[in-house]
Amino acid sequence: MTPNDNRSSIEKEYASLREEAKLRLKRLRETGQPNIYIGMATCGRAAGAIETKEAFEESLFKRDIQARIIPVGCMGHCYAEPLVLIEQSGFPTICYHQVTPGKARILVQNFLEGGDPCLEYVLGAMQPNDMLPCVTDFPRFGMEKRVVMEHCGLIDPDDICQYIARGGYAALVKALKMQPEEIIAQIKTSGLRGRGGAGFPTWKKWTIAREANSDRKIVICNADEGDPGAYMDRTILESNPHQVLEGLAICALAVGAEQGIFYIRAEYPLAVEKINNAIKAAREKHLLGPNILGSGFSLEISLFQGSGAFVCGEETALIKSIQGERGMPQVRPPFPALKGVWEFPTVINNVKTLASIPPIIRKGANWYAKIGTEKSSGTAIFSVVGDVVHPGLVEIPMGTTLRELIYDVCGGIPGRKKFKAVQIGGPSGGCLSEQFLDWPIDFDSLSEAGAMMGSGGMVVMNDESCMVEVARYFLDFTQKESCGKCTFCRIGTKHLLDILEAITKGEGTERDLELLQILSEDVKAGSLCGLGKTAPNPVLTTLRFFREEYEAHVFEKRCPAVMCRSLIAYYIDLDKCARGCDACMGSCPVDAIFTTKDRKKSIDQSKCVKCGECVSACPPEYDAVRKVSPPDRIPPEIVPQMEG
Amino acid sequence: MEVCRALEQGDKEEERILSDISSSLKLFERKRSNLIPLLQMIQKRHGYIPPMGMVLLAQHLDLSPSHVYGVATFYNQFRFNPPGKHPIKVCLGTACHVKGGEIILENFERKLGIKAGETTRDREFSLDRVACVGCCALAPVAIVNDKVEGHMTPSKVEGIILSLEIEKEKKKREADKDDTE
Amino acid sequence: MDKNANIVNLIVDGKEIKASEGANLLRVCLDNEIYVPNLCYLKEMEHPPASCRLCFVAIEGYPQPVTSCTEVVREGMVVMTDTPEVRRLQKSAFELLLSVRRISFCKTCIANKRCGLQKIARFLGVKLRVAHLNRIDVDREVDHTHPYLDYDPDKCVLCERCIFVCGNINKTPMLSLAHRGLNTSVTFFESAAILENSCKGCGACVEICPVGALTLKSHNKVTG
Repeated sequence: MTPNDNRSSIEKEYASLREEAKLRLKRLRETGQPNIYIGMATCGRAAGAIETKEAFEESLFKRDIQARIIPVGCMGHCYAEPLVLIEQSGFPTICYHQVTPGKARILVQNFLEGGDPCLEYVLGAMQPNDMLPCVTDFPRFGMEKRVVMEHCGLIDPDDICQYIARGGYAALVKALKMQPEEIIAQIKTSGLRGRGGAGFPTWKKWTIAREANSDRKIVICNADEGDPGAYMDRTILESNPHQVLEGLAICALAVGAEQGIFYIRAEYPLAVEKINNAIKAAREKHLLGPNILGSGFSLEISLFQGSGAFVCGEETALIKSIQGERGMPQVRPPFPALKGVWEFPTVINNVKTLASIPPIIRKGANWYAKIGTEKSSGTAIFSVVGDVVHPGLVEIPMGTTLRELIYDVCGGIPGRKKFKAVQIGGPSGGCLSEQFLDWPIDFDSLSEAGAMMGSGGMVVMNDESCMVEVARYFLDFTQKESCGKCTFCRIGTKHLLDILEAITKGEGTERDLELLQILSEDVKAGSLCGLGKTAPNPVLTTLRFFREEYEAHVFEKRCPAVMCRSLIAYYIDLDKCARGCDACMGSCPVDAIFTTKDRKKSIDQSKCVKCGECVSACPPEYDAVRKVSPPDRIPPEIVPQMEG
Repeated sequence: MEVCRALEQGDKEEERILSDISSSLKLFERKRSNLIPLLQMIQKRHGYIPPMGMVLLAQHLDLSPSHVYGVATFYNQFRFNPPGKHPIKVCLGTACHVKGGEIILENFERKLGIKAGETTRDREFSLDRVACVGCCALAPVAIVNDKVEGHMTPSKVEGIILSLEIEKEKKKREADKDDTE
Repeated sequence: MDKNANIVNLIVDGKEIKASEGANLLRVCLDNEIYVPNLCYLKEMEHPPASCRLCFVAIEGYPQPVTSCTEVVREGMVVMTDTPEVRRLQKSAFELLLSVRRISFCKTCIANKRCGLQKIARFLGVKLRVAHLNRIDVDREVDHTHPYLDYDPDKCVLCERCIFVCGNINKTPMLSLAHRGLNTSVTFFESAAILENSCKGCGACVEICPVGALTLKSHNKVTG
């Protein structure tokens, strides 16, 4: 039986699922009870969402108010966590930010009981209305284009009905009525490129596997997100796992696979739980498992937990680890799409790639192709962290400039500091300077600039960040994560790291700068896999765009950003220090601060570990702690004397 | 004498763990692709993987023990010494690093008198560095007893350890009270 | 040459060579007395690990040098084994390998005079003491746990040849790589008692080791 023979039965079965889901949600709304949606993904929980939820429950109980609390995923607005949406009749849906337990109690009392929507806590309304400003009026919401994260933070990930009621699995139904070649043609027209980093055209991968001659094929969702600073895959899986599942099912259908594997980091327990629940729920609704919706197409999906090796994000290493081996990358060819897990043709796609599939099939390839740029269609998701006002996950159309993303969407650099660099693409990416701010964000522009889309980590840095230290940090990461197989990556990255460490300590020489450049080029050209080939990128880009910083470290033993701990010193400005204030002394973890003769404070440089805690402890009205580089810049008159 | 008793207890403890491992292995199919899931199972149940556990695993899957050891030592997830009662993990992801994750780690090291990857002598605390846990907006982050603590500061480090120690004291006092009653 | 395979013509360093279609390029070079430095390749390997990163060659039409052990010969292929780019990568990889070793090893080493590293050093004109790289001290102890063998991780170049030959003789190799990154080493991981039963002490792994990292205990005792 081919999938096409029973179009009507598929339609019928799905229609009844959809009706059921809609009816359930309608009933929920009809009761007239308010709905409280709380963002309960990992980041929300870390910000205290569990305590907030408890406060709501307790307060509702105490005041005997009937309301439903619905745990949802994450909208990506990390700066505003814990985030709460309240649906109350007579009001638009209102989004509240930083809802602490205290605010939760006040919201119950004043809004749910008293009818006052507590404007002071409001971030915005979710729909346009004549009462409150709408969130889309803010650039952080308005400039985004949500395709992959459309439903994230708005639906309960554990309730499949909420996804179905919003049109979920309609794309799978549509695909079940298409020929596999038609599905692949749609993906080709859409211009979708793999979101795992390299940007390989998705349709090509699928075609290779489709045409491979094998009675068994495997599709894998790669959720081994290991880039430090990137967490969009986790958020998507925790917030809307069904969209990814649906994408994986369509992929399996297109390439002719009946086995799917979710490869998720074991460090993401909540995502593992959500995916497990989603697989179970989809099976119950016949959207997975044998004979999906009576179409004749079957798909079994299992879950494999990655054990904490960054290199396993690389396809051949990922395959090795599924097979119960050391996750060491292999030489290609053979490509996984021809010979993958257990030698069967295997398609491995990233979470974001798969989550893009259902909207493409549902809304049409041309609709998707129109988003973004000609060669990089669709949206890009970045986790923007570091020195920006509104950090978090942003989904923007490809082609948006870095300036728009950093300054408009994310609110710019806080504290009147100056922008210095943006690190894009994690350990394989590069550091871009101000001159690139007006470059469009797409696969090709970023690689041309020496960075990489990578998996979408973006760290914005102000002028207090040292670029040598940033390069050292990333090399430290790749060196520790090197699998140890090939010479360049195993030993070369260690030499690069040692040199960078020496430079941050003020022990670097001119010769080191030269060696750094040559060795970086060799490691890039000579390594076996993508990890090694891209590992020197942070060094090469910082050497290129911030060379003067390297030179300051080497020739002047000075860290221009006053960050490298071996090259700085703290001292207390005696003119500003207030007599009798002990704030800094209490904060010092090593008792390096003592009271001077005239009852002011001073730092014993031999004890100081340069943690900077005294800077934050010193009351802002005094602001007496100074930081200098090199350490011998401490004014000579500050040579302190102990209290008599 | 005390050392002997401790050793005896240690042996008993390990014996218990090994018999638990061999009985739980029986529930898993003998196929090679189960190697990592089985290592994860042992790690989860016991907090570490004893050397003899790897030999048992090798026998179950018909692999050489050196292969099992080779795979287990490749992945960060597996520990080979028993963890502390209160595992502390300090995130050193990009954002945490920029916001001073190293300093937080150093403070834990100083306070506990151990280095990252070690367990305190009384097995109360173990300290580890972890790559990004994905809570970058809360940087720097530490995970204490599986709870994420955001916006860490050196004084917060002190507070956390102090509160755990106070809790222990309290429990001990309650236990003592129960004993006397 | 495989009699049944199609014969292809290729040019290596200006020399016209005939080879079976699909044959391994490194092997073809070596068979035709064109030496390309290598440590991890064995002609019995179907999928060479390509881990030592020494056997680089330049192939016409390729943007940069590639490892010859991962290429197969094609009709009309033009290969150069001695371009400046090739030599730069070879020397770089080789010096990296040397930078984690102690040169003082050589005099007392069982592999002295027939060591793979000494041979490559002569060929590339590289000194065994690398002046421009600091020595990386991983500093691990010699593993004496095996009943017949000793393993010195500081000499090992992680070519995996020992694991390959052991796997060829015994169904599952008794040796394996352990740990990761710079700490990667070969492991026996078993008590001597068990190994005494499973390992027959055939010495194939010792024989194949290019650098004297694996040695027979009996030999070590004799030479003290």
